[in-house]
Amino acid sequence: MNRGRENWQLIGIGIIFLVAVVLVPLLNGLAPEGSFLHISDFQMNTWGKYLAFAILAISLNLLWGYTGLLCLGQCLFFGLGAYAFGMYLMLMIGREGQYSGELPNFMVILGYHELPAHWKPFYSFWFATGAVFWVPGLLAFVFGFFVFRSRIRGVYFSIITQALTYAARLLFNRNEFTFGGTNGFTNYKSILGLPINGPIVEKGLFIGTSIALVLSLLFCWWLVRTKYGKVQRAIRDSENRVLFSGYSTTSYKLFIFVVAAMMAGVAGAFYVPQVGIINPEEVHPYRSLEVVVWVAVGGRGTLWGPVIGAVFVNWLKSWATYQFPEYWLIILGVLFVVTVLFLPGGIISLFPVLKPKVLNLYGWAKARILALRSASAT
Amino acid sequence: MSLLLSSSPAKWFKCLAVILTLWSVVSYQAGKAQEPGEGETRALLVEAILAEDDDQQIVLIQKLADTGDSLLETVFEQWKRGEVFVHTTEGGEKIPFTLENPESEAPSAAIKIIDAEPLTGADGGALSFVAKDLTAVDTSRSLRKEMKNAVDFLALSAKDPKVRAQAAKKLGLTQNASYIPVLERRLSVEKNKGVKENLREGLAVTYLAVGTKDQVIEATRTLAKVNSLAGLGFLKDVIRLQEEAPEDQRDEEILAAAKKAELSIENHFKVSEFFSTAFRGLSSGSVLLVVALGLAITFGLMGVINMAHGEMIAIGAYATYQTQVLFVHWFGDSGLGFQLYFIAAIPIAFLSAAIVGAILERGIIQFLYKRPLESLLATWGVSLVLQQSFRLIFGASNRQVNSPGWLMGNFDVNDVNMGFNRLFIIGFAIVIVFGTWVLMTKTPLGLCIRSVMQNPHMAACMGIRTAKVRMMTFAFGSGLAGLAGAFLSQIGNVGADMGQNYIVDSFMVVVAGGTGSLVGTVTSAFSIGVVDQVLQPFLGPVMGKIFVLFAIILFLQWRPEGLFPTKSRSLD
Amino acid sequence: MELKLDSPAETKSENPLEFILTIEDLNKAFDGFQVIRDLNFYMDLGELRVIIGPNGAGKSTLLDLITGRTKPDKGTIEFGRGREHDLTKLREYEINRLGVGRKFQTPTVYSGHTVYDNLLLSLQGPRGVFYSLFYKESQEDKDRIHEVLETIRLEDRKYELAGSLSHGQKQWLEIGMLLAQNPKLLLVDEPAAGMTDEETERTGELLLSLEGKHSIVVIEHDMEFVRQIARKVTVLHQGSILREGKVDEVQSDPKVIEVYLGRKHARDAEGEEKPAEETQGIDLTKKEASPTKPA
Repeated sequence: MNRGRENWQLIGIGIIFLVAVVLVPLLNGLAPEGSFLHISDFQMNTWGKYLAFAILAISLNLLWGYTGLLCLGQCLFFGLGAYAFGMYLMLMIGREGQYSGELPNFMVILGYHELPAHWKPFYSFWFATGAVFWVPGLLAFVFGFFVFRSRIRGVYFSIITQALTYAARLLFNRNEFTFGGTNGFTNYKSILGLPINGPIVEKGLFIGTSIALVLSLLFCWWLVRTKYGKVQRAIRDSENRVLFSGYSTTSYKLFIFVVAAMMAGVAGAFYVPQVGIINPEEVHPYRSLEVVVWVAVGGRGTLWGPVIGAVFVNWLKSWATYQFPEYWLIILGVLFVVTVLFLPGGIISLFPVLKPKVLNLYGWAKARILALRSASAT
Repeated sequence: MSLLLSSSPAKWFKCLAVILTLWSVVSYQAGKAQEPGEGETRALLVEAILAEDDDQQIVLIQKLADTGDSLLETVFEQWKRGEVFVHTTEGGEKIPFTLENPESEAPSAAIKIIDAEPLTGADGGALSFVAKDLTAVDTSRSLRKEMKNAVDFLALSAKDPKVRAQAAKKLGLTQNASYIPVLERRLSVEKNKGVKENLREGLAVTYLAVGTKDQVIEATRTLAKVNSLAGLGFLKDVIRLQEEAPEDQRDEEILAAAKKAELSIENHFKVSEFFSTAFRGLSSGSVLLVVALGLAITFGLMGVINMAHGEMIAIGAYATYQTQVLFVHWFGDSGLGFQLYFIAAIPIAFLSAAIVGAILERGIIQFLYKRPLESLLATWGVSLVLQQSFRLIFGASNRQVNSPGWLMGNFDVNDVNMGFNRLFIIGFAIVIVFGTWVLMTKTPLGLCIRSVMQNPHMAACMGIRTAKVRMMTFAFGSGLAGLAGAFLSQIGNVGADMGQNYIVDSFMVVVAGGTGSLVGTVTSAFSIGVVDQVLQPFLGPVMGKIFVLFAIILFLQWRPEGLFPTKSRSLD
Repeated sequence: MELKLDSPAETKSENPLEFILTIEDLNKAFDGFQVIRDLNFYMDLGELRVIIGPNGAGKSTLLDLITGRTKPDKGTIEFGRGREHDLTKLREYEINRLGVGRKFQTPTVYSGHTVYDNLLLSLQGPRGVFYSLFYKESQEDKDRIHEVLETIRLEDRKYELAGSLSHGQKQWLEIGMLLAQNPKLLLVDEPAAGMTDEETERTGELLLSLEGKHSIVVIEHDMEFVRQIARKVTVLHQGSILREGKVDEVQSDPKVIEVYLGRKHARDAEGEEKPAEETQGIDLTKKEASPTKPA
């Protein structure tokens, strides 16, 4: 039975791959407009955003769901990835910007005459891509090293990651920090010489996000099965026992913290060009808590929970902020309270309850078809 | 038990309320002080106008100048321009008057100088004249000069000692030798100590520029004695002049005296700067403490991460706002009724936050005691709902709460500026910390609370109703947050997300202090407040805050359990 | 290798190279309360030692100090032949990797994992992050796990979640996890708490069978159990060693009886010199001194 479930999970990842990487871009590009098969650019863009959020949710789930580390700063790493890639996008605006000059607009306004040294390497696409990984990774490594070493655990870990995020947001708000202050980065023009709103880039970004999501899922699927994954969950259940069994829980936690930070960074990097803006509000502690909601609503500690949660809550948000803009926060808050109190396992925990019914339906349909067949045969 | 909970804080409030009432009444009375002497001034004026003799007039004008009445400015001006006239009644009585509109060609109403009432004729009807037809009261050159001086230095004799002091300083800083006699004369009649000091300071600054050698040296001593910040620049000028002068013209004595005075003043300001920083640190530490104290109960003692703590603060603030609105409705927006609204708001803020806290505990938190991380998440959901509800009820924009008069103002002690609101928050913090301490350690309820927090099963076995105690403890912690909100409404705006600005800070205070330790919370709140204030001049407010956050993270490296850890030998 | 010694005095005179654990001049205070006071403790290689003592004597603190959970204020804890390692300088997992295994007073197992995985995680071998990422279960590992499963008699429940086991079974599983680590020194805190008489007896047999292969420290209150397994007993009182010796000698020592039962009993015991009664006397402590109740 175990084996069976594993296969189903792999098949599920395969289906996502087929739908997101192949089918959606094909329907967007080939199906004629107006046909019900057609997927509009807007829809694809929206779903690209959801999928980037799903990657972010998976990264948080690696920490919270599997290791018991409730990180309230996952959006900081997301933001760092986004800012790193945004720097490349800002430099690609070049002379097409509002002010004639090589410098990004906000620097012109602030009176810079030359690009600061740490911006220069970001002319290179590959350097920026690398930075999407190592900048969040490095911060996670340094911060995690100190925090885990001093045995900061449980709620203390949550509080301190929130404080870090809070401090980082204050920092990003500063103009002197050279990342655009409160306005952040926006008005991108091109990636790798291609126009950012062009069909190739739009499809490319969606496919890229989908591939990153599939890879994240595969990584998660694999990690849980290794001995590392077992140690990880053992840390969640009884950290002291793990420590007294000779495992350096510090390095185990540090590893997953860094990996999750990089994964969040990648999500941020795919998010920025699709949404077209990154500013300090994305690093607000509130945003990180929202990610926690996605994971909790979907079902933490499961492969699919974070994906379901991220897509569902964001879809709900898009719908509710349009339909009931005044009540969206109340809906979100109530959803969260209800989930925590009555559905700690998240949406995914409903499936085993529903499964027999679905199977029933399947059996019923099969019987009907057989009956029809035999009827037609006679 | 429940009686105790309600009576103990209530007692404190009563005490607090009495003190505040007294304070507010006193300051209210002071503000409404009468302005005596206007009648006298007018009588003197009339006497001066009607006096026959020039010398007599000069004496009277000097006497008038000493009243410092701003009325003089207008009347003297009119007199100099020839717009003061005398009406002689049939009985021979001479009444000086002015015209309402002396420029006009048409007759204009005559106003008596003695009481600013219209001049009436024998039949009781108001009289009107055209200026051109009348003969103005004449003035001599010396009289005009005296009047000009009187007007120029009017501020020196103003009623308000603050105005007098300021004028003395301002006149002195012009270093005009001709002011010396005026200032000296004023010094001889001035009674107010503070104004006297300012007069001396002004004189000394003037002497620095124009005095003889002895006067200059004496002036440096005076400046050092009164610790004149304004004089510091002039002293530096003197030093520079002396140092730049060729050797044979240099006066070593003056140079030495000036340097000595400079050093003494600079030292004084270093010291007072230190105390100012300490005071500001103490008061911002008190703000932190007031905000974090509720959290020290709910988080530190009960282990509940209440992310809605910020909204409890907002409830307190909105309750204060609502009380103000009601008081304005009942008593108008000034007067004693309004002055007292804040005192009424304090218990209202406490109770409203406590009630919401109790509902929150019964409704949600009681199911999550074993899952602290999840109580964090659920309360965050609650915080979102509350924030949005505030916006729906009170509107999205911030609400303005007006402080009562007795919370505004400030005063100086030895160049250390103390605002009443800052003093008040320090006192407020001390009172509620003390109250909390008494409640926790000296009352049966406190004993119940501590026993339930340490070992709920055992406490339950001893017949303590743990559920009720928990609810009350949580309500108490929330109520403290409400008190914080009541105070924060006095130093900032009231808005739906106002609590969010404090939540990270207050968690940091509790964590750095060591959870569950009142002493730790107090110590860390004050330490953080002082460090923050010390850093702010160098780093600016935002970078200072960032620095403090990182400092706390590093501090936790060294002491992961905070300043005053609660020791436990259990495994997890 | 097996040095059977009768009194502490003799222990000290032996060749120190043969000690597996050497504790000298150990001191530890919590909030000014001296929990461990000038403690000297020596253990031979392969020895099975039982530590008894009334509540608050510092037994669990001693284990905490050995395993690195708390650091001493003063003194040394050296492990291995020739005092190779100074344990006071090492972290918990480093101490464990040297071969010091510990069973806690309340059973701590990974309740979200199966019995099999519990043992897999405890198996001797490298503990690094990257090793565990690419670890493949070898036949040797499987055999070892099954061997342990048989020893602790949980073979038929190996795929069940550890959280679903009974209290006694959890105790056994935790002992099994220790065995899987194959440590040089086992520290066992109240193994018999919450067990049935039969389980207790078998626990005793198990510990005895390990004697010689491993060095074992057992903390226990149950005097019957102590008599079953003990060769040599150390009595801890107020943070120092009160008496060390064979079970019978210790039990008849008036000082020991005094700390357990107060002065009067001590005098009675001295007067009558009837070991049976004293034994019974100490046995009384079992009830008041074992706070762990079955889950």
